[in-house]
Formats: sequence, structure tokens, C-alpha cells
Amino acid sequence: MSRAIHPDSRVNLERSTLLLIDDNPQALDILSSIVHGFGVKEQIKCASAVEAVGVIKRRPVDLILIDCAMPEMDGYDFVRWLRREGPKSASYTPVIMLTGHAAPSAVQKSRDCGASFIIAKPLTPLVLLQRIVWLSRDEREFVECETYVGPDRRVRNYGPPLGMAGRRKGDLSTHVGAAIQENMDQSEIDMMMKPVKVSL
Amino acid sequence: MTGARTFRVTTSLADKMSRPGGRTAAAALTAATTALEGHREAAMQTLVETLEQLQALAAARDDAEHGQVYERAAALLDLAGFFETGPLYDAAYSLCETSDGMRDNGAWHWPSIEVHLQALGLILADDCRETEASRTLLEGLAGVRERRTRRA
Repeated sequence: MSRAIHPDSRVNLERSTLLLIDDNPQALDILSSIVHGFGVKEQIKCASAVEAVGVIKRRPVDLILIDCAMPEMDGYDFVRWLRREGPKSASYTPVIMLTGHAAPSAVQKSRDCGASFIIAKPLTPLVLLQRIVWLSRDEREFVECETYVGPDRRVRNYGPPLGMAGRRKGDLSTHVGAAIQENMDQSEIDMMMKPVKVSL
Repeated sequence: MTGARTFRVTTSLADKMSRPGGRTAAAALTAATTALEGHREAAMQTLVETLEQLQALAAARDDAEHGQVYERAAALLDLAGFFETGPLYDAAYSLCETSDGMRDNGAWHWPSIEVHLQALGLILADDCRETEASRTLLEGLAGVRERRTRRA
């Protein structure tokens, strides 16, 4: 197993509801079996993104796994709808997109749709579990602007969450570490805030 | 919407996964891998059937079916991508790239499709093992792909 997830670390997906969307029933069943193995007890399977839109309008889910290429409404359009027009309670839901072959025309769509992750096959249970755990610790802010709604794509500033493989020396973190000194007293703080005359 | 707004979101997934309980990552992976393996036989059968559909399309050489060739190739790749299919996955990916590229640049070439299908058949017949023969086949497909998509 990769260093990214320690074999003894606990993964708790028992209370999470997953929405799985794929127009290929066999692929949908395979995906369902994998996440069941992860311990997911409640999963909703949809054979189309259009069907999934109906589900999202009716009830909240905790994580969405969706195939990119589907007829009528593809995975990219679904995520774009979710982020921009979906119910407010669902619009920040983490979304993992799965793709086999990405046609060049789909590359920009995938970049701009607002998915949390895009996983290119071959897909192994390890890769999928790593991404789910990563999302549960995701530090990225959400961005809303004219041309994009979704997690901050400037991931290089933050890198993977703390404690996971792949972090680089310069990666930032929003984690506040444990205090290593005693708290400053109020007079010290006041001194720092006090205007001081300086000679230029 | 003017300008960009950034904000922090705590998702219900993060909240629920941070609670005590669940199973170890090792147990989760073992269970998922076992469940995945339960689908292997049926998936391999579907791969064979999809390859047969592609062979029928190539035999008919109907130029209205270029899109269908890509769709079937993508379906092959999607399913192969769940399992350790090594050279089969690579050959299917090459077929997707080649058919998509030829479709885009308007220079469809059926023999390039056929050579991919022959390679896929050989790899499937050899249980998707990575061998010297499969490496040679993939090198040949890479040459075809390069030549046929260069104009794109």
C-alpha cells in the first residue's frame, strides 16, 4: 500500500451516502462493489446524469462519483449544473469524475467544470480510496466567479493535505499548529499594536 | 457575478469521515479488491463481446460508423480500466486515440482500426499478459497511431 494511507488508519464511510452515476450498468455495478468494500452502507446508483439531477434535487448526498462520458448530459455538464444551478445545500458536494479516454475536446471542459478530482483509468481501489480520503481532508477553498465555480484549482499552492504523500517543501497549509510557547500577555500584545515614532 | 469570491467549505463527507468507527484502510482495500475480482470473469466476457462488435464494424467499413467505432473503443477502455489488463488497456487506449484523431482530422483509415483490433484479439487470447510479444504489438500500434493522428 502507498504511504499515502497507512494500512492501520481508519476509514469511516459508514455514515456517508454516495451517489454513483454511469450509463454502463456493468461499470456501475463494479464501482458499487468497490465502494461497498470501503464500508459505504448507503449508495444511490443512477444510469444517467439526468436521473442524478432528480436525486440531487430531492435529497443530499455526501460524495458523487460520476463517469465523464455519457449521452444526453455528460459528467462535465452535470458538475457544472451542480456547482452553478444545483440546490445550495448540494452545490459544494465533493465530486470525483472517472474517465477512460479523454478526447482533446473534453480537456477544457474537465478543467472548467468544477469537479473535485478527475481520475483517469486504470482505476484501482487504492487510488479511489486515496482520493476519497484526500477529499475528506481537502483544504482547498471554494471559488465562485463568472467563469468558474468549484474547488480552487491552484492546488500547487497547497499540495496534498498534511500527512499525505506528495507534499513539497514549499506547499502552504492552513493548519494552525499546536502552540509551542506560552501565550503572550496583554501588555506584550499592546506593545506590538502601539504606534511608535520612528525616525526616517 | 462580479469578481471572484473564495471561501472555505466544510463538507458533510469530511464531517462524517472524521467520526470514530469504520474499518482500517487495509481491510477496506482487501474487501474492495475481493469485490472487484468477483466481476472479473463477466467483465472479460464483455470485453470479448465488445471486441467482436468492433470487428463487425471494421468488416462492414461503413463510413457513417466512425463515431460508433470510437464509442465502442471507449467502452472497451472503460471496462478494461477497472482491472489489471496491462497491454489490453494500452492497446484500447491507442485505438481510442487513433479513431478520435482520424475522426477529427477527417482522414479515416480502416486498416489502422483493423490492426488495432487484431492486436487486441491477440492480447486477449494471451490473458492480457505483458510479454515480449505484447510489447512488440504495442510498439507497432504506437507507430500507426503516430502516423494517423499526426495531421490532427
